Formats: sequence, structure tokens, C-alpha cells
Amino acid sequence: MDSYLVAILTVAGIYLILALALNLQFGLTGLINFGVVGFYGLGAYASGIATETFHAPFLAGLLAALIIGAIAGALVALLSLRLSGDFLAIVTLGFAETIRLVFNNEDWLTHGPSGFIIVTRPVIAGLSRTATSWMVLGVILLAALLVLLLMMRLADTPYGRVLRAVREDDLVPATLGKNIFMYRLQAFVLGSAIMAGTGSLYAHYVQTITPDNFTTPVAILVWMSVIVGGAGNMKGTVLGALAVVFIYEGTRFIGPWLTMLDAEQISALRFIIIGVALILMIRFRPEGLLPEAYQRPAEAASRITPSKG
Amino acid sequence: MIQMIINTLASAAIVAPAAVAFTLVFTLFRYANFAVGGFVTVGAFAAWTINVPLGCPLWVAGLGAMVVCASAFALSDRLVFRALRGRSGGTLLLVSIALSFVLENIMRFIYGAQMKGFDLPLTGPITIWDVRITRETVAVVSVSLLAILVVGAILILTPIGRALRAVADNPSLASVRGLPVPSVEVFGIAVAGAMLGLSGTLVGVDLSIDPNLNWAVTIPIIAAAIVGGLGSPIGAAAGAILIGAAEELTVAFLAPTYKGAVGFAVIALVLILRPQGLLGDKVDRK
Repeated sequence: MDSYLVAILTVAGIYLILALALNLQFGLTGLINFGVVGFYGLGAYASGIATETFHAPFLAGLLAALIIGAIAGALVALLSLRLSGDFLAIVTLGFAETIRLVFNNEDWLTHGPSGFIIVTRPVIAGLSRTATSWMVLGVILLAALLVLLLMMRLADTPYGRVLRAVREDDLVPATLGKNIFMYRLQAFVLGSAIMAGTGSLYAHYVQTITPDNFTTPVAILVWMSVIVGGAGNMKGTVLGALAVVFIYEGTRFIGPWLTMLDAEQISALRFIIIGVALILMIRFRPEGLLPEAYQRPAEAASRITPSKG
Repeated sequence: MIQMIINTLASAAIVAPAAVAFTLVFTLFRYANFAVGGFVTVGAFAAWTINVPLGCPLWVAGLGAMVVCASAFALSDRLVFRALRGRSGGTLLLVSIALSFVLENIMRFIYGAQMKGFDLPLTGPITIWDVRITRETVAVVSVSLLAILVVGAILILTPIGRALRAVADNPSLASVRGLPVPSVEVFGIAVAGAMLGLSGTLVGVDLSIDPNLNWAVTIPIIAAAIVGGLGSPIGAAAGAILIGAAEELTVAFLAPTYKGAVGFAVIALVLILRPQGLLGDKVDRK
């Protein structure tokens, strides 16, 4: 039971980082990225290839994932950011599907559907099984905490305010002389790099990655975390990611009571529940459990004016 | 060469009705409904249910699938999309993806993940000038062509078609002029749903039916509709032929495994070459 709890918390940490990155792109800046799993998978494979094929240490793998995620994010963004939001959504979705085809078909690089085995771990080697899993959990939670603090800080800065303004009505910040395109590009690239970095953490946690690890259900869970928590609110995302992972993992236990269903049906049923919940949430409580705090203009203004005395 | 043209037409014939449906919904409500692939999957399974377990001939199954999809599509609009009208395009997109995901898993829940096929009599291919055409391909292409012509004719020639175009153009003006906008919209949705059901049946004739069909068809459908300019059924059909041709060329000269990426590549190409968007100058986007 203990090891199961550690596993759930580790997975929750991974979803949390992905959701925070998506909250930067969608919640703060209003960019619709349906290709979360594309960047996530790209980072996982980049890190795996760096550490296993080129025998680099874990940190180098993580760095490789971050850089490749940023490059991929920049390419996708340059292709579609100038256009309306729907295009970004379509392009990112296509990107994720295409990336998965590459993972599946380029056997020489990724070992295809049979899976890529990763021996390198993000912690000191030679510890007992339990100690290692606790340390991996620690590394992932530490990463989640760092990303959370970075995002909360970012959301509070003048920079974050411009991102929100871009989301609400890009004409206003444009009139104030802000380069809207650069803001969108930076937010998208940073988010994509973080998603790829999460892929690296995931790869070194599970140690065997297959293209099937990076499919639409994962993207739906990440989106669900952001929407349930409240788009634009980073603390909400923590709540959302925890809620989603516990609902998703919790529905695992309905299996024994529904003996007439086979494993395939139970898995389908869980996804039906998740999908319906997402639709209901958007329909009836689009602002999420913890709505984005309304910032009064006066309050925001006094904070940037240096206080006298 | 001629074989490639035939293959192109066959895959275009499958995608085209669904691309017409996507275009129709886009012109009526101005949002991209990503659930089209989900409804095509529903149509394929509906046709299979009528054809194999119930033992009806395939044309009955096709009509049945069209009715099922038209009702399901209308129901989805009534329950989900109508309440969200006026929300941002992004919200509707997200909802439609979630819906697609739900539909796919409902199919998986009911039918399992095994591949299924229609109960078709085995017929030999017809050979004309060294080109082999299966009778199924002939049927798929002619049915698809006929369906698109019928939809085109409805839109251009009939009073309800004119009303539909008026509503798509300017709903408030149409309403002021006394058109019953809600019922016209329901008619448009039903037509789109029927086309999705038809696509589902045609997919089942050409390929096997399983829940993973959903994402495999979504990108080509949307790519065809975008390339076709998101304006008219004929444009969507032309877009489908273009996507089919690009897929055939990829299979012939690059790698067959990357057929699935073609739709995305074509969309990317359109964005690079015509960044104002094929729809940018046609539809006033909000």
C-alpha cells in the first residue's frame, strides 16, 4: 500500500508540472495547446536517448529535453501563433500525432512500440528499492514545487499582467506598445520546455517508455486538471491536478465491484467519466474550483509605485 | 499512375462527406468541431451493428448509420453545444475534443477493441486497361459523390438550403426576415450528422472498424475542410481529393508509415504559404 501511495503521488507530481505549464500557456496567455503529449513525449525520448545512447548523466538528459522542447515549441508557435487560436489548437494536435508516428516508426532511434529502456535514474545508484522510489518522488515533488513557485511569481509580475491582457484583448496591450507576438511566443516556448522537462522526469521514473505513454488520454487529464482547478490560477492547478489524479486512480477500485465488465470496459468507463466530467465542468463552472483572483486596478498600481518613507 | 488516382479517389470519398459536415457546422456556428471523428466512429459501429448482428444489407446499414449519427449529432448540439453558444472558439474546441474522447470510449465500452468488418460478399476486382478496381471502391466513390452532389443541390436549389445559407451568413438578419432560425439550424446539424454517418459506413467498407478510427480520421477530415476553404461542400470535396492525393504520394515515394502525418503537413503548408488563412478572407472571425 505504501509503495502504491508513493506511485500515485509521483504520478500526481508529474501531472501537476504538466498542468502548470499548460496553465501558463492557456490559463494566463490564452493559447490552446492540444499537443501537450507531443512535447511531453519529445522530452522523454530526448532525455532517454541522451542518457542511454550517448551515456550522458541525468542532468544532461534533462537539459537536452528542455532545449528540444523549447525548439519544438518555437517552431510550432512560429507556424501558427500569428493566426487565430483555433489554428494553434489544430497545429498542436497534429504535432502530437505526428511526433507519436515518429516514435513508433523510427526504430533505430526509439526502439518503436517495443519500448525504450532507460537505466539512468535521477538519484544516487545502489539504494534499496523503497528508498529509491521515495527519492524519485522527492525529485519530482521538488521539481513541481520549483515550477509552481516560478509560475506564481510569473503570474504576479507585470510580465504576467501583460500575458493576461494578451489573453483578454490583445488590442489593448498592443496599443500600449507591447509586442504581443513576442509575449505569446515566450509563454508558449517556456510552457513547451517545461512539458518536455517533465517528460524527462517521467522517463527516468518509469524507465521504459513506449509511444503509447504519450496519447490523448494523458492530454485530457492535464487539460482537466487546469479546467477543474481554475484556468489562470496556479494554486487552483495544484488542487485540480490532485483531484484529477485521485479521481482517475480512485476509479481503478470500482473494478472489483463490476465483475461483469472486463478490463477494457473498465478502462473505457473511466475515460467516459473523465470526459463527461470535463464537459460538465466547462458547462456549469467554467471558472473552476479556485477561480482566478480578480485584481483591482488600484491595488495593482500601488504595488508598482515605490512607497515613500 | 492510374492506380494512384483510383486510390486517391477512394480515400477522398471516405473523408469528403465528413469534411462537408465539418464545413457546414463551421459556417453555421463558427467553431471547429473536433468531434467529427468521434461521430464517424459512431456511424461505423452503427452500420456494423445493423449489417452483421442484425443481418441487414449494407445499404440499409448505411441509411441506419446516417439516421443514428444525425440524431446523435443533433442530441450533442442540444445537450452540449447549444448551451455554450457565444463562448470562445477555444472553449468549444476543448468541449468537442472531450466529446470525441467520450464517444470513442463509449464505442470501446460497448464493442471492445477488436477490429470488425462488414459482412460483404466476396467479389473479384474489375480489370480495365490493366487497372484493378474493386467493386467496393466503385461503390464507395459513387455513393460519396452522389451524397455531396445532393447536399450541394439542397444548399443551392431548395428553399431550406437558401434559408440555411442565409442563417450561416447572418443569423440576426435571417431572424428579422422571419426565418425560423433554430429549426433551420437543427436541419443543418441533421444534414451534417447524416454525412458523418455516411463517412463512417464508407470507412467500414474500405478499412476495418475499431474505436481508434477516431483520431485516424479526425486530422484528414479537418485538413480537407481547411484546404477546401471552409466555405462550400464542393470546396470540402476538392480538399479531400487533395489530401487523398498527398497521402498516396507519401505512401508511394516516402514512407507508408507516415500516411497519418500528411494531413498535419498539409495544414502546416497552408499556414506557411497562405498565412492570412484560407478562411481569413472568407469568414469574418470573432
